[in-house]
Amino acid sequence: MLGEFEYLLLAAAARLGDAAYGAAIREEIEASTGRKCSIGALYTTIDRLEQKNLVETWMGDATPQRGGRAKRLVRVTAKGVRAGREFYDAVARVSRGVSWVVRHTRSHP
Amino acid sequence: MTGIGWSLVGVVSRLLEREEREAVLGDVLEAGESAWQGLLGVLGLVIRRQAALWKNWQPWLAAFGVAFPGSQLLMGVSLSVSWNYQQLLCPRLLAEGSLTTRTGFLLLMCQSFLLVGWSWTGGFLVGSVSRRTLWASTLLCYASCLFCLTRFRVESLSRFCLLLFLLPAIWGVAQGLRISTIKLSSAMILAVALTVLMIPAWSSPSLHWWSPPPLSLNWVLIWPAWYLVATARRSPRMVRGS
Repeated sequence: MLGEFEYLLLAAAARLGDAAYGAAIREEIEASTGRKCSIGALYTTIDRLEQKNLVETWMGDATPQRGGRAKRLVRVTAKGVRAGREFYDAVARVSRGVSWVVRHTRSHP
Repeated sequence: MTGIGWSLVGVVSRLLEREEREAVLGDVLEAGESAWQGLLGVLGLVIRRQAALWKNWQPWLAAFGVAFPGSQLLMGVSLSVSWNYQQLLCPRLLAEGSLTTRTGFLLLMCQSFLLVGWSWTGGFLVGSVSRRTLWASTLLCYASCLFCLTRFRVESLSRFCLLLFLLPAIWGVAQGLRISTIKLSSAMILAVALTVLMIPAWSSPSLHWWSPPPLSLNWVLIWPAWYLVATARRSPRMVRGS
């Protein structure tokens, strides 16, 4: 079973497709969740996912807007796709019938 | 990327592997972050990477099994070698130690070989098993050297006598960083020679209080040599990348 952040990273990489690399994935996660994503968390999670064979990475070409530095490109593997779908299904199942509306109850003296 | 902040980012990022450094610095630049944000981000990654390394046993072995105890004992051996050399130069000291010139010379040769051998094997082991945490082993070695140097009180000998082991140790570290194992035959010759030479060296009556205790602590100095034998058996020779 994936962790929450692992799923976010996997989903962002899957959505970005061929354009999935460190900075783009980070931007995608921050835009989707509204939460800050640190470089440390991003790269250590990419490594962990790679060790689990859920993603594969390789060094891409250097681009001028990155000061001539290469990108670490990320691709979700078939096993990663399955793991992402399982996580999503589990969250959907466990959320079925759950109402996230806060009930205001009157406090008794 | 100019300015002090970016220079700091560059310095901190040197602690990352080359490819990762390339990707991370590119990401920081592309995201348009300030130098301070970039520094915090890179520092966070470096800390996570270093912390992950310490989950393995190798850095602990190198730092607390070899570098720290080894440097303390080897400072004692360095001093013994210096003292034996001084005895050879002064017939009165030689007589006090119940030694003749011949036995004094043999003892000096024996202890010098042991010093070089122990230091080199210890250094080699540290360099080969904990390449990325070498800073910690160096720091521990430095701390114990500093402690001993401040407490050193022998009128006739210079403080630098304590540090004779450093040169072969540094040579060993450099070799260990370059190659992870040595040939089985070389490792075996080294280990057997060091073990055999320990007998006359420790049984000498002229040993001083600063020499490591003869039997109880020998294994701290000799086990790196036998560890090299054990690891040489598994893989013949492997050249390390960056």
